[in-house]
Amino acid sequence: MKSPQTTNQGSPPQAQAWARRLGLKVADVLSEYPDADPDNVRHTLILLEMPPLERLQRSLIRGRSAALRRK
Amino acid sequence: MAVALPFAESEIRLLQSLLKFKVRFMVVGLSAATLQGAPVVTQDVGLWFEDLGDPRLVEALGTVGAAYAPPSPVNPPMLAGAGSELFDIVFKLDGLDSFAEEFKGCVSIPLGRQRLKVLPLERILASKLAANRPKDKLTIPILRDVIATAESLARKTGDSK
Repeated sequence: MKSPQTTNQGSPPQAQAWARRLGLKVADVLSEYPDADPDNVRHTLILLEMPPLERLQRSLIRGRSAALRRK
Repeated sequence: MAVALPFAESEIRLLQSLLKFKVRFMVVGLSAATLQGAPVVTQDVGLWFEDLGDPRLVEALGTVGAAYAPPSPVNPPMLAGAGSELFDIVFKLDGLDSFAEEFKGCVSIPLGRQRLKVLPLERILASKLAANRPKDKLTIPILRDVIATAESLARKTGDSK
């Protein structure tokens, strides 16, 4: 089965193509929701390409390291 | 030295045991939001149980070497033991209906061969709006944007969710 071209991994041309597609998707969402923050939309679209448990793991890593830095 | 990743095997095993024993619970709060794509950070995984006195809860936790610690004058109700450190028992959620009502609207996220019930983004937003603490206020605009993004994608793919 061919895996979907969803992440920014691979060769530089693939990475550029991924970034272009992402930019188009962000623009698409913003055309419907002009008040949305482009950064929030972009980060959400990137996270939606990952499995749910990986998203949670990343969030916990960042949340816990930020808490450690505050101590 | 390699550092253990949070939310790895022992945490997943604990959740799978709860599901196997048919304990009724759902993931809530920002951990539920991250599972659905929200770019927010969290330190723990909020779990809302329908009935903390359910004997299946004790059994499910015992199977993986964990336990339920009832509230004491110094501690809230909590989970203890293997794989439990990241979990936080949530027993008060502002702005939401009863557990049974909210459970009906949960989204399901695959966890091995089982499905984990997760509070949907719209209801997480409702609880954050009702709680309205300073830390909630920071996440409200992000949750709104995530919902907008999800709605836009759903329309494009013809998905009704």
